[in-house]
Amino acid sequence: MVELYWLQGAVPETTKPSPEMPPWKETAVVGKRVPRVDGYDRVSGSAVYPRDILLPDMLHAAILRCPHAHAKVKKIDVSAAEKMPGVRAILTAQSPGADIPWFPRRDKPSTSIFDQHLRCEGDEVAAVAADTLLQAQDALKAIKVQYEELPFVLSVEEALKEGAPVLHEGGNRVAPPAVYERGDLKKGLSEADAVVERTYTTACEIHVPMEVHGSVAKWDGNRLTVWDSTQGVFAVHETVAEALKIPMANVRVIGHYMGGGFGSKLECGKYTIIAALLAKVTARPVKLFLTREETFTMTGNRPPNKMSVRLGAKKDGTLTAIEFLSTGTGGAYPASATTSFMATDLYLCPNVKSSDENVFTNAGRARPFRAPGFPQCAWALEQAMDELAARLGMDPVELRLKNIPKTSQRRGNQPYTSTGLADCLREGAKAFGWNEARARKKPDGPVKKGFGVAASLWGYAGGPPSTVIVKLFSDGSVNLNMGAADIGTGTKTFMSMIVSEELGVPLEKIQIEHADTGTTQYTAPSGGSKTVPSDGPAARAAAWEVKKKLLALAAEEMKLPVEELMLSGAEIVSTKDSTKKLAVKAVKGLERQQVLVGVGTRGPNPEGKIVTPFAVHFAEVEVDERTGEVRVTRLVAAQDSGRPMNRLTYDCQVFGGLVMGIGLARTEERVLDRQTGKMVNANWHDYKIPTALDVPVDQKVVAVDPGDTECNATGAKGIGEPATIATAAAIANAVADAVGVRVVDSPITPIRMSQLFRERQKKG
Amino acid sequence: MLPNFAYVRPSTLVDAVKELAKPGAAAHAGGTDLIGCLRDGVFDTKSVVSLTALKELHGVSATPDGGLRIGALTTLAEIARHPEIAKLYPALAQGAASAASPQLRNQGTLGGNICQRPRCWYFRGDFDCARKNGEFCYAENGENRYHAIFGGETCHIVHPSDTAPALVALEAVATVAGPNGKRKVPLGKFFVLPAVDHKRENVLAKGEILTEVVLPKAPEGARGGYRKMRVRGVWDFALAGLAYSVVVKGGKVERARLVLSGVAPIPWRVAEAEKVLTGKALDAATVKAAVEAAVAGAKPLAENAYKIDLVRAVVEEVLTAIPK
Repeated sequence: MVELYWLQGAVPETTKPSPEMPPWKETAVVGKRVPRVDGYDRVSGSAVYPRDILLPDMLHAAILRCPHAHAKVKKIDVSAAEKMPGVRAILTAQSPGADIPWFPRRDKPSTSIFDQHLRCEGDEVAAVAADTLLQAQDALKAIKVQYEELPFVLSVEEALKEGAPVLHEGGNRVAPPAVYERGDLKKGLSEADAVVERTYTTACEIHVPMEVHGSVAKWDGNRLTVWDSTQGVFAVHETVAEALKIPMANVRVIGHYMGGGFGSKLECGKYTIIAALLAKVTARPVKLFLTREETFTMTGNRPPNKMSVRLGAKKDGTLTAIEFLSTGTGGAYPASATTSFMATDLYLCPNVKSSDENVFTNAGRARPFRAPGFPQCAWALEQAMDELAARLGMDPVELRLKNIPKTSQRRGNQPYTSTGLADCLREGAKAFGWNEARARKKPDGPVKKGFGVAASLWGYAGGPPSTVIVKLFSDGSVNLNMGAADIGTGTKTFMSMIVSEELGVPLEKIQIEHADTGTTQYTAPSGGSKTVPSDGPAARAAAWEVKKKLLALAAEEMKLPVEELMLSGAEIVSTKDSTKKLAVKAVKGLERQQVLVGVGTRGPNPEGKIVTPFAVHFAEVEVDERTGEVRVTRLVAAQDSGRPMNRLTYDCQVFGGLVMGIGLARTEERVLDRQTGKMVNANWHDYKIPTALDVPVDQKVVAVDPGDTECNATGAKGIGEPATIATAAAIANAVADAVGVRVVDSPITPIRMSQLFRERQKKG
Repeated sequence: MLPNFAYVRPSTLVDAVKELAKPGAAAHAGGTDLIGCLRDGVFDTKSVVSLTALKELHGVSATPDGGLRIGALTTLAEIARHPEIAKLYPALAQGAASAASPQLRNQGTLGGNICQRPRCWYFRGDFDCARKNGEFCYAENGENRYHAIFGGETCHIVHPSDTAPALVALEAVATVAGPNGKRKVPLGKFFVLPAVDHKRENVLAKGEILTEVVLPKAPEGARGGYRKMRVRGVWDFALAGLAYSVVVKGGKVERARLVLSGVAPIPWRVAEAEKVLTGKALDAATVKAAVEAAVAGAKPLAENAYKIDLVRAVVEEVLTAIPK
């Protein structure tokens, strides 16, 4: 199975879904371009983000962090800090109640919240709560810590050397390498007419959401309320209760708005627990938000990977062998660094071997990062496919079309409910003008144009559990109650659109309550492209139930069989005689009851089948052969994510995914100082996320909808991750097309290109 | 995080100089560099002396001998869009336009751009490096891809300014005000190499401020510009760049000024390349000779030899594009 560890174990038994809902045919609302229902609140400043929370008597907290890559706390003296103005509480490992195991929800290796063994720069040493943030930060400087500095390791190679410094008991291997095999790789390679082999690396990318990580914690007796900038209030809920050893019923986590999350906010942070502890000892609400600098080292990254790929194919392009060997490091604490899944499942191939190795290093811990592992895999696999196409003298699109699977070979050969991979290749190529572009005569001059393609799939498409409640009030307005956070993807908007589609209620008559463990129902965190395919069907089921109840009431009053009635806008109409109708507001049963409540749950995924989104990206670049400057000038993304729910936010998601892909391809890279193990570019200037001038004006989204009626009740498969997986690889392939140089290491900067041009010149 | 500091905003130059002469005083113009330095604790600051009330430091005006005077508080955005600067001193206009981002250019000043502290990540970061109070330069054996290939000895920073190379190429003269009155310093002599003093980047003594820059009359027929190479399309310092001012008359180079950015602790004038060009036709052989002269003496560190290639590329590109 694809390793989505934050979702593992999160699929318990759920109640039976509502009775069969037929797939939508033509839709009136779903699939249209609808601006965000909360857009005005977001841009006008009236939306209250967790960082905006201000409570009476609230204190401000800050965390003292380890300045070394690897160290032990020998001695800590807080006496001077305690006496400073405004300081209300200081926590260290010695504070009563602070000895909390971390991570509470996982097995070994277990450390504690202020562990005395500090395994990377930024590890938590102490925390202060004070009247103002500046007082808290001043107090941090007055805490005297004696560290014993330890030797450190920064790379996989160093970590696995004999005698290397060890981070955790049991050694630096997180687990034995995970090996997958099918068929006979040797045989496959011997049958091949062409074999390509190369090693690729991707740099570590840092999470940089607009809103930094943080929480506000407030106790009322033994009940705790937490406002958190999170992708999943329920994930935070569970961890807080477990860490503080209080019943889940006593904890309420609220995350109405949040300023961006790309995987780093799927879990509860130490800062949340620290805020709660400080709030407890001071008997005051405590706000603890990290600084931007802290987020660079401590809130996660896309782990760096090294991937060796070997592909074999027949003259006609039929793949005979795929080998994909990956190593990576999720940093100082357990975190996935797996990349191989897509390499074993994207193309039809009988002989496949993959392996994933993950080791501990003295660096910030990885987190899921928009399609964890997949963009790295695409960087290697899809460049290798490109090279193979060139070796075979085949068009890269044709080579891919030659190897389209109908089943998921990695997952027991089960058929896909739908696969738009071939259509993405064909329709994307058409929209891009692929054949014309590749057939062109290269222009003269030192600036060369190039064109590249890369394909992808994403290994998850939602599932249970999710519970959504829809209430229809007697005046015809609706309340939509859901647990999901809207992490900026437009969740509130498309969920309202689904309800509007079923009930015929206009969007402005739908109000939303969401992301609050006290008032909404469980759903897994918004990540892994699961919100549309997991929560959408639950919303539809809830609306469907309301509709059923309403029609039953109306049938009684209209003295017509319920099967004959349909809901049409604000009226219930007979399908046999359209003159027989009743306004929703005139239904006496509704008036008597005042509210109709529908509870919708997400049913299981289809048995024996696999639901998977696919995508193919096309890139055009310009490379200056003298300076190595690379510009991405055009992108086309052909996406099979099933039925688009809101075509406007669907496109926006893809544009955002493309920009992140440009970051991987062109600009982003964590740099650790080899002398100290400290991150030297932990700021927004030196860590380079793409700017507006790095993103092409010409970006096009092609929505390939295969009309999937089996995946779930919405026909949608999720768009968040598949929007970014193939981008970087397509850009790298375009660069290779432009100047004949294969860039195996990300990012593609003038620095890298100059070095490659130099090597090419040496070779002659 | 920002330290505690006093804030003063004197209304006369004399008072400003007096305030700046006090220990721990830092000058504030646009603040785009200073606030980052304060936040990162790059140097100890007791007081921030705002220059923004000093009217005489604002504005662009013509000088009697046909040149241009630019007040130190003139913003980069004002310089970038000033029609006369664009016409007569395109290297400066392009330098200003290529710095930072639109927001920062609206706030950042010419004086600040010239006097900003280096962007070396060891200097800015939590490292006790030689330019601060430490013993050695971390870049020497560390992460040095962005560091100097020329002129780095005890410290390998590159000068971060995009306008300074143009001002050196245009032979501008700075006016410096200090406790002992005013003095004039040609921009070519304004910057200090680490070998001279690795704790400062320019000749300004304690209490001194740059008040204006005076550009001499632009030579007739001069072709000029600034070409910058960087990782990102905007909001990025130069990997390498070239500010130039070249006069070609009768098919021959009469005068050439080539100043590199992003490769040395100061704006790096390549006088040898200028010499090669002077009196010659801009043919392929001359350009090649100038390219070689421009990179002669480069001493790359482990990770920045690519800058030699960038310098070659940019010198060739610029010279080739000048009409013969």
